[in-house]
Amino acid sequence: MQTTEHLKLDIEPVDERGIRVGETMLLLLIACVIGGVANYVSTGVGAAEAFPGMAILYVCSVLGLMLARFMPFYLPSVAWVSLIAIVITIPGVPGSEWVVAQVGKINFLSLATPALAYGGLALSSKEFAIARTSGWKIVIVAICVMLGTYLGSVVIADLTLRMFG
Amino acid sequence: MPTSGVFEPRHLSLHVFVLAIVIVAEAIGIIRIPIGIAAIVLLPMLYAFAMGIALNPNITRATGRVLTPNVQKFAGAMITIAITPFVAKFGTTVGPQIDAIIEAGPALILQEIGNLGTIVVAFPIAVYVLRMGRETVGAVYSIDREPNLALVAEKYGLDSPEGAGVMGVYATGTLIGTFIFAVIPVLVHATGLFDIRALAMSCGVGSGSMLAACTGGLVTAEPENKDLILGLAGASNVLTYATGLYVGMFVALPLTQWLFRKARPDLY
Repeated sequence: MQTTEHLKLDIEPVDERGIRVGETMLLLLIACVIGGVANYVSTGVGAAEAFPGMAILYVCSVLGLMLARFMPFYLPSVAWVSLIAIVITIPGVPGSEWVVAQVGKINFLSLATPALAYGGLALSSKEFAIARTSGWKIVIVAICVMLGTYLGSVVIADLTLRMFG
Repeated sequence: MPTSGVFEPRHLSLHVFVLAIVIVAEAIGIIRIPIGIAAIVLLPMLYAFAMGIALNPNITRATGRVLTPNVQKFAGAMITIAITPFVAKFGTTVGPQIDAIIEAGPALILQEIGNLGTIVVAFPIAVYVLRMGRETVGAVYSIDREPNLALVAEKYGLDSPEGAGVMGVYATGTLIGTFIFAVIPVLVHATGLFDIRALAMSCGVGSGSMLAACTGGLVTAEPENKDLILGLAGASNVLTYATGLYVGMFVALPLTQWLFRKARPDLY
């Protein structure tokens, strides 16, 4: 395990306030187009029909990035994106029924597929090397970590639901 | 994010690779493999990740002419951008379920404490079965995604044994986390012991791709509860953004360190 010492991952703390909004908006557009194609292949929902839903998700994403950039306090952009998307779909909020109907045409699993394709292509030689040199012990531990985190949450959530109905 | 050139031909060709991978992955579609009472669900995102690895220049040298280290770094930045519409879509599943979420409120908040279950399961295995050293502390204290990695980096440095532990689990989780989260929840569901709401909200404990795989598996197992599953998982994931780092900083990491000092005083 000592051999991993020279293999530092370069994960820089991302200061989202520094990102250029215009560039990110264009890249986000590319991501949405690929997501739309994924949705078409999996569900058969064509471009015209999926457009309003994808446009809503695009606008939520851009607004979230902007809020993370310009708000005086720090909250990650994904948190802002979620909050906006939650608020516009709460029953009773004007237009929420239309929004829910439109985004309902987009398959959530299809939107995760492009991110994982980028992920597979992005893996660096360092990440492969760390996984290799850490050895089989760390693989077993990692599986136990994921299993334990998930099961711990399930057990506590289940007990609490039984108590509070 | 690279400082410039993200619209140059090489960088643009990255999206062509991704588009091709995505089309093939979605065309294959969801595959269910029955094993006894449960069925393992293979999702398009898993094939996409596998194809991405297969075409990764560190595996297939030929693609290295286009996918230079710079382009690969850009691909890393694109993960965050590409997952954002997914996060938005997930948010839109939370709003309509707001009543069910408020009803399950106490469970939703308390299950964040359940994340400490990693220590219960992984700590004894690492210390007593595998006889690991101080790597244990970094490895088992949390699910070791980016915020947790940053915490260990700050406290011990990534070149410490604790840092090696957290990086090992991080790298392994990156490689197999999506697959593990596609399999475990479906198997736990098949035991029939737990409320589907508990299984759903626990999907929010890790990264975005773990969330996607976990909910994908559960929805395939219980399609009639799709809206409820997505809503609760989405709400729990938002909560984890807010609490995860603090639980790690003030509870999980000090607790793991204390346990390790008790278990192996010889190493301090």
